Amino acid sequence: MSLFNVGRLCVKIAGRDAGRKCVVVEQVDKTFVIVDGNVRRKKVNMKHLEPLAEMVDLKDKISHADVSSAFKKLGLDVWEKKSKQVAERPKKQKVKKVKSVKAVSKKESKVEKKVGEKVKVAEEVTKPVEEATEVQEPDSYETIESEKKE
Amino acid sequence: MPRGMFKSGRLSKIFVKTPGAKNVLHYRQRKPSKAVCGHCKEQLAGVPRELPAKMANMPKSKKKPERPFGGNLCSACTRKVLQQKARGEAQ
Repeated sequence: MSLFNVGRLCVKIAGRDAGRKCVVVEQVDKTFVIVDGNVRRKKVNMKHLEPLAEMVDLKDKISHADVSSAFKKLGLDVWEKKSKQVAERPKKQKVKKVKSVKAVSKKESKVEKKVGEKVKVAEEVTKPVEEATEVQEPDSYETIESEKKE
Repeated sequence: MPRGMFKSGRLSKIFVKTPGAKNVLHYRQRKPSKAVCGHCKEQLAGVPRELPAKMANMPKSKKKPERPFGGNLCSACTRKVLQQKARGEAQ
């Protein structure tokens, strides 16, 4: 007969949860016990527990919710797992895009301001050249074709 | 000759090898003494021995064990203290 039967109130002596009260929920073997209450539900060596005189009426392998309700009746605190709330991360790519668009627009505006009329003049100059080449190309093809026929 | 403040032994000497293959003497603040259990005076595990500036930038969980009396008492002494406390409650 070990002291650590199901329902035995204990104090954890070692580890992160040391100094907190817990209850034996299940006996695993001669050395280990599963423990719940004001600690993380865990398999624990009996050497890390100090038994108290009190017992709690519990069934074997009882759930955490039932243990917590039993603890609240006794007026003891219960360890509740804090679930992490994941905050939405600001997306870096979108920010970069916005910046790049602004930079491009600024550059464009600067170029337009600086160059201004020069660009317009250049466009006017280039257009007639293109037309001239277009006109010349068919002539050259015709001459090649006529040479082939001959 | 070194300056007066370097002769007193307040700072620890460190030989640094320069890229030009010279050995140069540097002076650095001495490290604090090792952390010791308040009850049995044994050296504490899990407490780093670093300069205060480095310790200030370290996270809390890396400076001491996360159990009650962590960083002050060793694990064996904490067990004894908590056992006695629990037995006192039981009586």
